Amino acid sequence: MEESDGAVIAESLQAAGAFGVIFDRHGSTLLRFLARRVEPAEAEDLLGEVFRIAFERRSTFERDRDSARPWLYGIAANVVAKHHRSEARRLRAMGRVCADRLLDDDPAERAVAVADANARWPRVMDAMATLPEAERQVLLLFAWEELSYDEIASTLGVPVGTVRSRLSRGRGRLTALTRGRDMTTDVPLTSCDAGGGR
Amino acid sequence: MTDDLEPLRRSRPDRLLPDDPPDPEILVREKARLMSAITGPAGTAEHRRTPSIYPRLAYRDEVAALDFLTRAFSLVERREARMEHPEGTLAWLEIGDGVVMIGRAGEERHGLRSPLDAGAPTAMVNVYVHDIDIHYRRAESAGAEIVMPLEDMFWGDRRYEALDSEGHRWHFAERVSETRAHRPAP
Repeated sequence: MEESDGAVIAESLQAAGAFGVIFDRHGSTLLRFLARRVEPAEAEDLLGEVFRIAFERRSTFERDRDSARPWLYGIAANVVAKHHRSEARRLRAMGRVCADRLLDDDPAERAVAVADANARWPRVMDAMATLPEAERQVLLLFAWEELSYDEIASTLGVPVGTVRSRLSRGRGRLTALTRGRDMTTDVPLTSCDAGGGR
Repeated sequence: MTDDLEPLRRSRPDRLLPDDPPDPEILVREKARLMSAITGPAGTAEHRRTPSIYPRLAYRDEVAALDFLTRAFSLVERREARMEHPEGTLAWLEIGDGVVMIGRAGEERHGLRSPLDAGAPTAMVNVYVHDIDIHYRRAESAGAEIVMPLEDMFWGDRRYEALDSEGHRWHFAERVSETRAHRPAP
C-alpha cells in the first residue's frame, strides 16, 4: 500500500530527501492553482516558494493525515495573498479575454451579448480583484479549485461555518459589485462564451 | 444552490485559455531546485555534520535575527535544517567550520533569554573569519553596533567586537599573519 502523505512527511524529518515524494504527488495541482491565480511567469517562482515553506514547516504537519493537499493549498493561498497585485492583474487580464471573445462572436448573438455581458464580464473579474481577501479566497477555492466546504475549512484553518458565511457574503458582494453600475436590467450575468458556441 | 457562480467558474483562466497550460518543464525544474535546496546540490547529504560543541542563542524575534546575522555578520544559514514551529523558528547558521543555533527566547524554550530581557549580554561568541577587514565593513554598513574597534592585538589577532540585533556580543577575528595575504603592505 502507498504510504500516506503524513507518513512520508514524518519520514522526511529524518531523511529530508523523502519530501520529494510530496512534490511528485502534489506539485502539478499546486502549479495549476498558482497559474490560475497569478501571472504565469510568477507562478513558477511561487511554486518553489510554496514547497520550501512546506518543507520548513513539515514538523507541524500531523502525521496521521492522509493528504497534504489542503495544507499545501493553505500555504499557497497565503503566498498568493502576498502577491495580490499580480493576482489583480491576472483577474483583470482574464476579464479582458472575456470581453474580446464576445466581440469576436457571431454578430447576431453579439447584439444581445454585448449589451449585457460585454459590459458586465470584465466587471466580474474586476469585482473579484476588489473583494476582501478572505472572501476571494473562499470563492475561488470553491468555484475554481472545486474543493468541498470541509476541504476549504481545513485549507484555511477555519471552521466550516466560517467557510459558509464567507462564501455567502462573497457571493452577495460579487453580485452587488457586478450590478452596481447597471441597475436597469435584471438579466442574470451571462457567461463569457455566451452565444459563441466555443 | 443557484447558479450565480457559474460566470466565475467559466472565467477560470485555464478554461478561458485551454491551449495555454503551464509548461510541464516547470515541474521538472522546480523539483530539481527544491531537492537541491533541501538536501544539498549532490542530493545525497541528509544531515551535514554539526560540530561537537555549538551554542544556541535566544532572541525575542529570531526571524529578524536570522536576517541580521546573515546580512551583517556574513553567517550562512543551513536552509535544509530550518524548522518552523508554532512556538518559533529554529535555524542553524555556519561560518567556516563553526555552527550556531538560534531560536526564540522564553521560559518554555529552555529558559533562555535575549539580552533585551536580561539587560546585558551574558556570553560572547568568538568567530574566526576570512578577511576580517571586509567582514568589518559589511557589519558596520549593515548597522551592527561596533563595541570594540577593528585593531591588531598583541596576541596575534586582528579583531573587532559587535552586538547583534538584540545585543548578543560577537567577537570576530583573523590571525594577523593571515591578513597579510589580502592586506596591502603598510
